[in-house]
Amino acid sequence: MNRVLASAFMLAAMAGPAAAQSLTVSVPADVRSINPGVNRDDNTDDFVLQMVEGLVGYDEGGTPGPLLAEKIDVSADGKTYTFTLRKGVKFHNGAPLTSADVLWSWNRYMDPKTDWRCLTEFDGRNGLKVEAVEALDANTVTMKLNAPNALFLDALARTDCAMAAVIHKDSVKADGSFDKPIGTGPFKMGEWKRNEFYTMSAFEDYASPKTDGKIDGYLGSKRPLVKDVKFLIVRDPATVKAGLLSGAIDMGGILNSDVDELRKAPSLTVQVGTNAVRHGLLIQTRDPLLKNVKLRQAIAAAIDYDELVSAASADLAKPNNSPLYPGSSYFGDVEKQGFKYDPAQAKKLLQESGYKGETITILANKRPTAVSFPQAVVAQSMLQAIGIKAEIEVLEWATQLDRYNKGNYQMQAFSFSSRFDPALGFEQFSGNKDKQPRKIWEEPQALALIDKAMVVADKAERQKLFDELHKRYIAEVPMIFTFNGVEPYALSKRVKGFEAWQSKQRMWEVTLAN
Amino acid sequence: MLRFALTRIVMAIPTLLIVAVSVFVLIRLIPGDPASLMLGDLATPASIADLRARLGLDQSLPTQFGIWFSHLLKGDLGISINSQEPILPLILSRFWVSAQIVLVAVFFASLVAVPAGVIAAWRQDTTLDLGLVGAATLLLSIPTFWLGLLLLLFFGLKLEWLPVVGYVSIGDDPWRGIIYLIMPILTLFLHEIGVILRMARASTLEVLRLDYITHARAKGLSEGAVLWRHAFKNAFGPTWTLIGLVLGNLLGGIAVVETVFTIPGLGRLLVDSIFARDYPVIQGCMLFVAFCYVLVNLVIDLCYPIFDPRVTAQ
Repeated sequence: MNRVLASAFMLAAMAGPAAAQSLTVSVPADVRSINPGVNRDDNTDDFVLQMVEGLVGYDEGGTPGPLLAEKIDVSADGKTYTFTLRKGVKFHNGAPLTSADVLWSWNRYMDPKTDWRCLTEFDGRNGLKVEAVEALDANTVTMKLNAPNALFLDALARTDCAMAAVIHKDSVKADGSFDKPIGTGPFKMGEWKRNEFYTMSAFEDYASPKTDGKIDGYLGSKRPLVKDVKFLIVRDPATVKAGLLSGAIDMGGILNSDVDELRKAPSLTVQVGTNAVRHGLLIQTRDPLLKNVKLRQAIAAAIDYDELVSAASADLAKPNNSPLYPGSSYFGDVEKQGFKYDPAQAKKLLQESGYKGETITILANKRPTAVSFPQAVVAQSMLQAIGIKAEIEVLEWATQLDRYNKGNYQMQAFSFSSRFDPALGFEQFSGNKDKQPRKIWEEPQALALIDKAMVVADKAERQKLFDELHKRYIAEVPMIFTFNGVEPYALSKRVKGFEAWQSKQRMWEVTLAN
Repeated sequence: MLRFALTRIVMAIPTLLIVAVSVFVLIRLIPGDPASLMLGDLATPASIADLRARLGLDQSLPTQFGIWFSHLLKGDLGISINSQEPILPLILSRFWVSAQIVLVAVFFASLVAVPAGVIAAWRQDTTLDLGLVGAATLLLSIPTFWLGLLLLLFFGLKLEWLPVVGYVSIGDDPWRGIIYLIMPILTLFLHEIGVILRMARASTLEVLRLDYITHARAKGLSEGAVLWRHAFKNAFGPTWTLIGLVLGNLLGGIAVVETVFTIPGLGRLLVDSIFARDYPVIQGCMLFVAFCYVLVNLVIDLCYPIFDPRVTAQ
């Protein structure tokens, strides 16, 4: 009977293990668009950046380096960048990459009609302005800035800006609307069936920056070794698990809580990557109660970080109190010095703060992929243990984000998205609350140090600035970073070469055994 | 009949108008801003202001409503903030996916549950009755997401008869399309059996106690004739109404089933749009769901005379 039914439903097999060299990857959501840097989210960036590339991209440590450029020269005044293009690079339609394509792409991004997500990063509204872009010859492009800026290359490499990717003009239809990305990336656009799946196929003429098989962020060896990749939209983590176990899905992100179970599955391997996402507890420093630095220090000393991180990450992550993530080249001995868990000291500080049993509310959300709620629960119990009356208010994510943007909270369990450069990492939560209520740390001297780090290019000098900022942050406790993101993936044992990195599912150098 | 139908359709207009205004206002009362959600924590005040202007969210609420409503009168529900797709074709395509599942599941559930309910009433307080009522209560009590996962694990993982993930449109490949719809349909079918069976049993019980049934039996009619010719026809009215309500309810959202089985249906579109604060899609979906409710109830009302000639469409 089973055999008869199995035959009758052999279509199940067609949806099951992928055909040779066709990889099926589960993703939790559809892409918003396929237009680089326009109407995007992390998922969209992840897909689009397999097909397009910019002049520069991030390496494994989050430092920008040449990608479509072969070399980058910076003028003595720090205002002119000269990009020499890598030779032999072709677009998916076979056309060679030239400086004219770089110019055309840049002008398109800077046209407000394009709706490029990062227009405000380069048109002067946020300080940095690219005043002129010129092609010196078919292989050389210069960009002139309004002022020296240590973060210019970082801004160009940003994934949410789609690396300011160079695309061929045939990506756009005659009427000016976007058609599909014709880029220089290792994969070409395949089929997109909204809310079901999207696919890409290997670009056989791809010119990989290196061919040694070593993956290095968006640089390094990027050979497309599988023929097709199908990203299947599966929202329910339980269904992802069933799909992985059945073989219908070759790889996919899983919940932290599913790691132990799937490690025992004979057909799967589990890989736990880390990323620069920073989880923590935000503190409203203008709150009548929490503006008291002694109280904030008491809170920081009341938390057992090992226990909190273990509970919130299903024992997958390690504590990190620094705004810098451990993969950064600036993460040194100073940054390793975090808050000290000391209940006796916490009680003493609490007494010195004059705390009189007022309620402190911690906002949290219960998104299955977020660690907000578990963090809030553990923190609440630890604060209660030293005598702080802590309560949790659970909100839906959009509401919590709205409260964050308005600064309307006392504390909240929150996560900041990845920022590779430490200056941007600090800037993300620091600034004047009168201008931007979402900012947390507004101590003038700290803001001056961050401004300086945005301009200074010398690495040693920047390190000093970040060390100083870290020490000030630990002393003043404007907020409490607890740990960095972990991203567990389950993979069929047939999948080789995948390396989890910064929540990006890089498909280059990945192979699939038959 | 035609006049009755037209009157009902005209009466639906104020209902839809109230729904339009309510949804427009209520969704904007919920905290959360689409531009901030789209830009996340990387947003700057300039980029948020820029995006809000592009989405038209910087205009006053009456202006936004006026623009939306004037487009609505022309049959244009607008463009999705998230996907930039035109909303009406988006809703129709997603509705078609959900409707296939709902219509088939409710049809088969009715086909099984109505006779079972009538038989349970006929054999009241027997083992058969208790068994049917017990099974119905059990099915009704199991949440659809859990029932769906159980079916998925059993038929997909253990027996490997049916695909665990994915979806193929019946329009693209009829046979594969059907295969992918079996489990979601089965989930809804099992759940709705419980709902319909209990109603069919209760209304039949009520009718079986009436004098004309005793009279029919006294005339010497067979139990079959009493049950199906006299009891069933009169008892079916409430069940038919319930089926209409169930249909209207399910057509508006089977988001949980769609999420478990990776089905791109209307329910998931609505839930995703609420989380993303995609105002135009939420408004469009809610209006569409209200319209479906009105339409389904109209059809149910028009069908009444078929089962009960005492009811006319006048």
